[in-house]
Amino acid sequence: MKRTFATGAATLLAMLALGIGAVEAKTLVYCSEGSPENFTPALNTTGTSFDAARPVYNQLVEFERGTTKVVPGLAEKWDISEDGLTITFHLRKGVKFHSGVNGFKPTRDLNADDVLFSFDRQAKADHPYHKISNGKYDYFADMEMAESTESLTKTDDHTVVMKLKAPNAPMLANLAMDFMTIQSAEYAAFLQKAGKMEQFDQIPVGTGPYQFVAYQKDAVIRYKAFAPYFGGKAPIDDLVFAITPDPTARLAKLKKGECHVMIAPRPADLAEIRADTNLNLMNQPGLNIGYLSFQVTKPPLDKKEVRQALSMAIDKASILKEVYQGAGQPAKNLIPPTIWSYNDKIVDYPYDPEKAKAMLAAAGVTTPIKMDLWWMPVQRPYNPNAKRAAEMMQSDLAKIGVETELKSYEWGEYRKRLQNGEHLLGQLGWTGDNGDPDNFFFLLGCNAEGKPAGQNLSKWCNKDFNDKLAKARTLSSIKERTKLYEEMQVIAHDEAPQFPIAHSVVFEPTRKEVVGYKISPFGRHEFYGVDLK
Amino acid sequence: MLRYFLRRVALTVPTFVALMFVTFVAIRLVPGDPVEVRTGERGISPERLAIARHELGLDRPVWQQFGDYVWNLLHGDFGTSLVTNEKVATEFLTLFPATVELSLAAMLLAVLIGVPAGTIAAVRRGSAFDHTVMGASVIGFSMPIFWWGLLLIMLVSERLGLTPVSGRIDLIAFYIEPITGFLLIDSLLVDQPGAFLSALHHLVLPAIVLGTIPLAVVARITRSSMLEVLSEDYVRTARAKGLSPLRVVGLHALRNALIPVITSIGLQVGTLLAGAVLTETIFSWPGVGKWLIEGIGRRDYPALQGGIMLISTMVILVNLGVDVLYGAINPRLRHGR
Repeated sequence: MKRTFATGAATLLAMLALGIGAVEAKTLVYCSEGSPENFTPALNTTGTSFDAARPVYNQLVEFERGTTKVVPGLAEKWDISEDGLTITFHLRKGVKFHSGVNGFKPTRDLNADDVLFSFDRQAKADHPYHKISNGKYDYFADMEMAESTESLTKTDDHTVVMKLKAPNAPMLANLAMDFMTIQSAEYAAFLQKAGKMEQFDQIPVGTGPYQFVAYQKDAVIRYKAFAPYFGGKAPIDDLVFAITPDPTARLAKLKKGECHVMIAPRPADLAEIRADTNLNLMNQPGLNIGYLSFQVTKPPLDKKEVRQALSMAIDKASILKEVYQGAGQPAKNLIPPTIWSYNDKIVDYPYDPEKAKAMLAAAGVTTPIKMDLWWMPVQRPYNPNAKRAAEMMQSDLAKIGVETELKSYEWGEYRKRLQNGEHLLGQLGWTGDNGDPDNFFFLLGCNAEGKPAGQNLSKWCNKDFNDKLAKARTLSSIKERTKLYEEMQVIAHDEAPQFPIAHSVVFEPTRKEVVGYKISPFGRHEFYGVDLK
Repeated sequence: MLRYFLRRVALTVPTFVALMFVTFVAIRLVPGDPVEVRTGERGISPERLAIARHELGLDRPVWQQFGDYVWNLLHGDFGTSLVTNEKVATEFLTLFPATVELSLAAMLLAVLIGVPAGTIAAVRRGSAFDHTVMGASVIGFSMPIFWWGLLLIMLVSERLGLTPVSGRIDLIAFYIEPITGFLLIDSLLVDQPGAFLSALHHLVLPAIVLGTIPLAVVARITRSSMLEVLSEDYVRTARAKGLSPLRVVGLHALRNALIPVITSIGLQVGTLLAGAVLTETIFSWPGVGKWLIEGIGRRDYPALQGGIMLISTMVILVNLGVDVLYGAINPRLRHGR
């Protein structure tokens, strides 16, 4: 009896001591929108899936949180050869992989084999992991990685050499994208040996600030801070993604403190969020553009004066108010102002129907004239309601004697027909991949023979513009590239191959106790460096 | 009884055949295929489109795809999701317990409130209570679920702070690995005090929302069925024998009055699952309803086909069960007339 009491007292004391020593674990809950397809970014295309994988992983180079600037990641530095054809990456030493996830205990630190594994899985059809999980590497293909690289090899355990077919300034930005995430070759081999290769994409092991704990489909994803992270342990101990598809429910949870950060509030709720003293509302123009393409090979749009006239006939401000409901910024250039080289000296065409009418007459266009005006059948971040926008443009254009017929097709068909140039006036847009201006300007690009590339819906080929575009790709100096891009924006403004409508503005509410959260121009949700006070 | 049962089972076969055909065809009539809906502004080159379609088997003749689908179904293989690459049956079974838990809670609510309310309304026909129940049931039956759910969240959770907003459990305080998938059960199996109460607390609002329409239906059917039974001769006899009103209604009348109510519960399994689609979305409830909606958006043919087949099978089985139960209660049926 006495002994029992003594043991009990000792336990109690020990517990008290622990209680005094222990600091309460910090948990941050993020109300996300949906379930990831899996946890290997190379296989995915949606922001939801990328967000879910990001806490676990790193890339060779990374985007500085909250910016589009490329900074060192797993590569602590890199050298670019004089001719711009070779990039040598020097890997950080002593980078640990997560231990204990799915029964895997790494025996070595990150090395060049992991980099080669992650690249080769996507590049080589005979790679053992190439076909796993349906093996679709959309971004790898879209960013033309195979076409632009000659080889990727290692010279020692911590040096990787990438040889390019042509100088390619945007390549570094490509490598910072999610699809170039570096995964563990040792974990892959471990699962291959166990005959459970498909788990590689479902139970992730990486080098990132958070270690994967559990995922319950449509309910929750859990992560815990990885203490040996090379950038230092994250201030948040437990990171929880509460999957909450309905935006009204997300906001209610945020207000009640059931989550700390939420994705995508409804525009109608913004005023309420601003008024709530417990919440912060951050905003930033998104890395996107919604535009109306003028198909310049079809008369009368082959005349630049006609295109300029149409640009003056559409009341952009009203579209922003009604279609974007305040969550948009009027666009005057193809790139959004968050990208370097944005030319703010450009003055947008004013809304002036009278002058537009006079310009049409001067260009020899007899009104009324009939045109088709296309609207895409889907809601996109850069254009929440293309049909409504089309209706508003229709009534604006009618005032200068341009009678438009509204047209639309199923999404796949719509895109195809626009790319074939079947339209006169067609709405579409673009969301940037890597924050490089080239990633936007190629939309108006033409090939060496002066033929419009597939994405060039306006079928506009301007030699001056194209030469500058090609030249900028070969330069590594940001300053020199900026000059060229600024000049290209002047040309594009004057020639008016498209009518830039808007860049959507992204809003992100957080609770007041969240500190250090940064809104990302890429629409990413990143939690390393975030704390709760 | 056995013959009755076998005949009912045999009757479900044509239903299944029709279902297989309709789910297969309907999904393919929606424009856009799984490869194209995945593609953004950049589009996809015809070559890559062809390869992707080939890999998914979408380039084969439709009758051949249908043949494979039926063949695999007969072997119990519901296919593999095009999006997550998981077996459809596995995904379904992971999510289905959440839907069942919610639906059962909603139905329990509907019966526990609806039957007494309908019974009292019938007994006190024409009273203020009767009018209130009937009025409320009209409103309940025509309630737009999405609006109702959001209203309750804003009022009960946000304004009054009585219930959590959404989800199945407090994610900060508890972490429960699925054992059965039924959180009310799993939370009792693990040693985490308070988990069960938290799970129950999270269930209240969604169950009310999903249970509203069935509650209205149950109350109305109970009332009209009870009214009919109360005018029967044997009830008058029971009364004449001097039995207490409670015994007359509760023992003699209710048993017979419940027959149409039970049938209606069977029929409402379909309504519940349809309502679950909306309720699950509003309340972030990880069930099959939300999963199917996503499947439509992504044109995940196998998930949709398999999911709808599995759900339909459940509905058919429940109705079969109800018919059998009905037979047990009503002897005239089981004697095959």
